[in-house]
Amino acid sequence: MKVHKLFQRMRFGIFALFGLIVLSTSLLCIRTVDTELSAEYAANSQSIAKTIADASVDILLNRNLATLQSLIDQFLEVQGIRYIYITDETGEFLAHTFVPGIPEVILEGDPFRTEPVERSLPGMGDFLEVSSPILAGVAGTVHLGMDLDLVALKIQRAIGQQVYLISILLVLGVLASIWLVNLVARPLAELLSYAVETARRSPEERAHAVPNETLLERDDEVGQLARLILYMSETRPPSGPGALPDQGEARSAA
Amino acid sequence: MHSSCAAALLAPWARWAGAAFAEGPGGVSSGAATAPAPGRQAPAPGAAGGDIVLGTSAAFTGPSRGLGNELYRGAMAYFREVNESGGINGRRITLRLYDDGYQPDPCVQNTLKLMLEDDVFLLFGYVGTPTVTRVLPMLKKFQEEQIYMFFPFTGAQPQREPPYGDFAFNLRASYRQETAGLVENFLATGRRRIAVFYQADAYGRSGWAGVRAALENHGETIAGEATYQRGARFTGTMRAQVEILQRAAPDAVICVGAYAACAAFARDAIDLGLRVPIANLSFVGSENLVNLLSEGRDDPEAYTRWLVNSQVVPSYEDESVPAVREYRELMARHDPEIPPEFLDEPYNPLPQSFVSLEGFVNAKLMCEIFRRFDGEPLRAGLEDAVFSIRDFDLGIGEQVSFGPERRQGLQRVYYTVVEDGRFVPLTDWNALPA
Repeated sequence: MKVHKLFQRMRFGIFALFGLIVLSTSLLCIRTVDTELSAEYAANSQSIAKTIADASVDILLNRNLATLQSLIDQFLEVQGIRYIYITDETGEFLAHTFVPGIPEVILEGDPFRTEPVERSLPGMGDFLEVSSPILAGVAGTVHLGMDLDLVALKIQRAIGQQVYLISILLVLGVLASIWLVNLVARPLAELLSYAVETARRSPEERAHAVPNETLLERDDEVGQLARLILYMSETRPPSGPGALPDQGEARSAA
Repeated sequence: MHSSCAAALLAPWARWAGAAFAEGPGGVSSGAATAPAPGRQAPAPGAAGGDIVLGTSAAFTGPSRGLGNELYRGAMAYFREVNESGGINGRRITLRLYDDGYQPDPCVQNTLKLMLEDDVFLLFGYVGTPTVTRVLPMLKKFQEEQIYMFFPFTGAQPQREPPYGDFAFNLRASYRQETAGLVENFLATGRRRIAVFYQADAYGRSGWAGVRAALENHGETIAGEATYQRGARFTGTMRAQVEILQRAAPDAVICVGAYAACAAFARDAIDLGLRVPIANLSFVGSENLVNLLSEGRDDPEAYTRWLVNSQVVPSYEDESVPAVREYRELMARHDPEIPPEFLDEPYNPLPQSFVSLEGFVNAKLMCEIFRRFDGEPLRAGLEDAVFSIRDFDLGIGEQVSFGPERRQGLQRVYYTVVEDGRFVPLTDWNALPA
């Protein structure tokens, strides 16, 4: 049996095992990050909408629309928020951040809706719109559009970073495995070479041969085998020239 | 410190972060040299050391710089005259200036510096609703310091109403009054479908709310609306906005914006066939608007004949008004220059304008308030000094009065149209082009 064939199979097994680990970890990671981040962005948007709704009560009751506009303009600086509009209890638009105008999709939408909804606005992109009632809805509703493209980009970036890290670990793991396998393969190859050399020698040659001290002095299984081969060679001659592999073939196994 | 040295030293900060200096008789002097040192123990903050230091944050750069520049020039024409005549009870009036580019965040930062580092006596001559609206909560926060804002160049409601109305004094009529007048006159002449083109911020919303309320009083609603981003330039396009309003088929459009954007809108509206009266509020900067629309054109009135501008001061062409005569004389005599730190873009000062006339009138009333102090001006005495202004004649044909429930001095709105490149009083609303 050739030693390198044995370790080729082992290397293939290691690659396959690590590949499977990376693939499954990446898929799990993608799913987790996507789900968690999407939920987090939605929750943050909802919180911001609620903050605006809570802050708007007095302003709305005082009909101070300039201050209301100033308030929502400040929240527009939060990354990912692309539009905000506030409707009153009748559904009339009291303040908004749209330029050059309120999109038809929004105008035709339900101004009292408080459930999240995904919207595609021509010329603007795709959005997750969350809403929060002002004073339980009797004073109006705050609507806030979170840029889904930006959220997707953020999620992709987070997933990319995770997969990148896992891939690096895969490469390091495989390299470490090869190194460890080689640690075992090299003395085995030497042992094989030693066994072949010993078998090829005549009894006279064996009597004058310099023993391979490196192998014989090892205190592991390879050393034990080497000593066993030496012992056997001193008691049994080789059965025939064709029965043993040549030296070159034995070295290549290392 | 010599003025040129001060300018050179302060130049690196001459943007939103603010280059500050004071101006007195005979030229510019460094604010760092003349302003009182920071500290809360000064007996008369901002008035120590002989000068009464007023703090200003306004648009001296950017697309709306004409507003800040002209308001400043008008005020300085009067202050300089007063200073050259010996000041008020021997005290000069100086201004500490910061540029905010008509952006709220720099304005907030500038105001903090003015209040906490520069220790100015009061805030004076701020420009813009989005900027002033953001500063008002700071006045409330530091209310124990009794720092008041005087005569901001905005007609918005936040500084006229609770909870911040007690921290500001206004001279000009409000946007609510301007828009109500425009709406009523349009409705009276059968123009019932009124659309609004406005800046997407607190200023635009303030004007929009005024139009909406005025229409509501007559059982009407806004026929259509379109917005633009603050900071838009004349070279940009407003075609999308015009197309939105065209679909509403308005009889008139009321613009609530600054001159560059409103000029771009008027140009594109006429080009796309939206030929209805286009009204602008006083904040727009009328002369800069007309200059943009008429300069270099074969027919200078092609875009301006549709304009109807409301004003909060009388025409600077009307020399029958005593304050106008005084204004024209002092503007010609002093011709205040724009601080060099703010001249990173070429700017041609206007010999006269509604904005600089407003600045002039603001300064005139400010000085009158300072004269009401018996001795050393104190912040604690400011309110009483202002409330002592009763039926005061500023020389513009309207008496000025203040009181605890009356924190806006003037109420009158004037309407103008363009003739021969100049704004003249609108006498017949039925004569507007159909």
